[in-house]
Amino acid sequence: MRWNYVFYMVGILTFFLGVLMAIPLLCGLYFNDSSVAPLMKSMAITTAVGAVLYICFRGPKTEYLSQREGMAIVAIGWTAVGLFAALPFYWNGVFDVFVDAFFESVSGFTTTGASVMTDIEVVPKGILLWRSLIQWLGGMGIIVLSVAILPFLGVGGMQLYKAEVPSPVPDKLKPRISDTAKVLWKVYALISLAELFMLMIGGMGFYDSLCHTLTTMPTGGFSTKNLSMAHYNSVYFDVVVMVFMVLAGINFSLHYQFIKGNSLAFWKDSECRFFLSAVIVLTLVVSFNIHGTVYQNIGEAIRFGSFQVISIVTTTGFATADYNQWPAMSKLILLLCMFIGASAGSTGGGMKCMRIMCCFKYCYKELFSLLHPHAVTTVKIGGKTVSDDVIRSILGFLALYMGIFALCSVLLAGMGVDLVTSISAVAASIGNIGPGFNLVGPVGNYAEIPAMGKWLLVWCMLLGRLEIYTVIIFLVPEFWRK
Amino acid sequence: MKIIIVGAGQVGFHIASRLAYENKDVVVIDTDPEAISQVSEKIDVDVIVGSGSSPMILEEAGIKEAEILLAVTDSDETNLVACLMADILSSSTKKLARIRKRDYDEYHHIFHDAAPHIDTIINPEIEVVKTIERFMSVPGAVDVGEFADGRLKLIGIFMDKDARLAGVRLSGLSDKIGTRTLVAAVVREGETIIPRGDDRLYPGDLIYFISEEHGLEKILKAFNKHVKPINRAMIVGGGRIGLRLAKLLESQSIYTKLIERSPERCSEIVEQMNKVLVVHGDGSDQSLLNEENIQDMDVVVTLTDDEETNILVSLLAKKMGARKTITKLSKFGYFSLMSTIGLEQVVSPRLSAINTILQHIRRGKVLSARTMTDEQAEVLEAIALETSDIVGKPLKRTGIPKGALVIGIIRDDEIEIPSGNSVIKPNDRIIIFARRQVISKIEKILTVKLEFF
Repeated sequence: MRWNYVFYMVGILTFFLGVLMAIPLLCGLYFNDSSVAPLMKSMAITTAVGAVLYICFRGPKTEYLSQREGMAIVAIGWTAVGLFAALPFYWNGVFDVFVDAFFESVSGFTTTGASVMTDIEVVPKGILLWRSLIQWLGGMGIIVLSVAILPFLGVGGMQLYKAEVPSPVPDKLKPRISDTAKVLWKVYALISLAELFMLMIGGMGFYDSLCHTLTTMPTGGFSTKNLSMAHYNSVYFDVVVMVFMVLAGINFSLHYQFIKGNSLAFWKDSECRFFLSAVIVLTLVVSFNIHGTVYQNIGEAIRFGSFQVISIVTTTGFATADYNQWPAMSKLILLLCMFIGASAGSTGGGMKCMRIMCCFKYCYKELFSLLHPHAVTTVKIGGKTVSDDVIRSILGFLALYMGIFALCSVLLAGMGVDLVTSISAVAASIGNIGPGFNLVGPVGNYAEIPAMGKWLLVWCMLLGRLEIYTVIIFLVPEFWRK
Repeated sequence: MKIIIVGAGQVGFHIASRLAYENKDVVVIDTDPEAISQVSEKIDVDVIVGSGSSPMILEEAGIKEAEILLAVTDSDETNLVACLMADILSSSTKKLARIRKRDYDEYHHIFHDAAPHIDTIINPEIEVVKTIERFMSVPGAVDVGEFADGRLKLIGIFMDKDARLAGVRLSGLSDKIGTRTLVAAVVREGETIIPRGDDRLYPGDLIYFISEEHGLEKILKAFNKHVKPINRAMIVGGGRIGLRLAKLLESQSIYTKLIERSPERCSEIVEQMNKVLVVHGDGSDQSLLNEENIQDMDVVVTLTDDEETNILVSLLAKKMGARKTITKLSKFGYFSLMSTIGLEQVVSPRLSAINTILQHIRRGKVLSARTMTDEQAEVLEAIALETSDIVGKPLKRTGIPKGALVIGIIRDDEIEIPSGNSVIKPNDRIIIFARRQVISKIEKILTVKLEFF
């Protein structure tokens, strides 16, 4: 384990983050608001710390990066990036204590979208743009972005990529990882541009369109309005945002294939079919459930039902309705959606449809072999056999996910938070959704959670975004053994 | 540049990692999921599990955009079929097949004319035998590379403790030896250094120098290595390479003994040989070696399939009085131990295969390319194109990157060992020594400048 190399890479990342702060700074300068000074200060400190780390730990060029080092770089890198991205929030005076700023920034980077800001609309525009921008960066992965545009990261790029974008069955779009990263970011940027355009056509201002685009595509869910998307109360915006949330929840390699001319790409992919049918079925059930109880009009039931289901299942977390008031069945379905999550290879969080599918198919296989003890069976996804290794790692992942969920909700409840809030807050943090139920519901926020609880949730968000292993590996004693 | 490699064996793996390091797009195909997962975990390349001879798999790998297809599976037949399929799908792709069976030997040139679907056949065993032959002629050399049809040699040699050249400045080296030479690189403590005029040589260094054929003897003498003719040779291990080598030595009228463990193989070999003495027994058996007068052998070549046996038999033979040993080693990991263990000359089928393949992968007008023993550097022989950046000005003012050195210029029949003031003219053949970090840059320099079109 070469720690100096790890810190050297973290230095590069930090410096890079500092440079990116120029974007909200320009915005702040344009609007001439109070965000300029804190942003400048943060930018100076972040780039300086990055440069110092880079210079202090610069060593001979390395040609090989071990998996362990890759994981360490990603985990420490994300924590560092979260810390430095919190500086503008803190210095701007949005929050009194640093943990709140840190919570907001990690919630951004992990595309969770859980906020501790009580009044968003008074915050200066530069800061809000930063808040949206970090979600956009975190969505496709800031390390993947670095691998794409910083050629000298190419050597260990693969280890970093695997640690940041863990996927049950990894797919490389191009032979080289830096090209794959470039392609993914291009597709991501292209779809984002499309959404920006669509929102502006609908009459949303450029600034708000940009901020909402930057948080829809990574399935983040930060809004510039206190009421989230409900502020606009427009069917057009709801539909546009829904469409782009669904797109963001689909594997980006399918988008790439589609753009390349394979028009059946989405249909041919079994995970995509599963994801889309889950969205449709759950929408229908929820809409049926809230029709007559909350909404008298069937159109309204479908509009709000579908928006909320999509927003939660893609792990975005925008709200157009206060689903705290909905019947228990709908609430429970939304809670389940938090666990399902979006597709593998998308910007969404949760357990991922691919894993759920594999798990179901595996269970069926087990039942089947009870009836035919001598039958030779395999789990197949999209016509291809999933190897036992992959199945095992998926089951292990699901068990860890549930275990951590259970442990953290107990801990949170132990800090004096009520049952539904604890469960939903932890589920929404690990799944990178954002809003949960009760206190942390769509109209509430995380400000009420005790400080210790916020640290815990920050950890949960990182766990969820980096798909558990990269973060939790630090707790395994074997990791530290020479 | 896209390259498809069929077969994730040792050669495939190694070539893939070399090319990935140089930022080329590589796709590796193999039927063994285990081998493939090794590749995808360790190297930044694309992988496909499947048969490389299947047209479907080749299409999936993107054969249409590929510039080169390398078929290096263990099966000659698979390699041939893979090339055939690739030719059907994309005839513009350059196709290289590794063919090892002796039966094909005689037909290599016929293949060349009559089988348009294979551009080049690679047989590492032939290369290995060639290398052994070169080693026999240059005593003490760790590495021998030939350029300009053998007129110019690049020789790697270890500096002995009591060598009289120890501590000499490089600028004064040619005078001291009495013939023009140029030190291309020094490997000191595992690091490849491209030296300057005021650097000195020290005992224990591995020195790479370039020399013309006729000056070689003088230089070797200066390094305390004396050329003596080889009259008696012993080969341990009668595998494919052993048999090939025995045939070659037989044709050169060198008295040869071949030790082989398997009695069946022994009788097979005897059938094919006339003068070679085939001995049945274990090469690591001291009394057998004694019996066969090991102390009178001019060279002992250990070529069994087992690395460790080769190393031990070579050491044993040296200890018992053999004048010189050549050892076959395949594991690259052992190369760094060579001088520590005391192995003099090492040949590797894998390195030979890689050398051959590299020639065909290099861009520009590259005639030959070979890699040095520890793979830190490569030597390219190329034709300087008129449009290339290095033509027409003194070498010291050309944009040749740090880490690379022009070590030879060949113009018609004239060979020049260059200095900073030498000028390369269009269509000169030049030999460049380059560390692997700068190889892509060198390739760019050698190719035509695109801005002109």
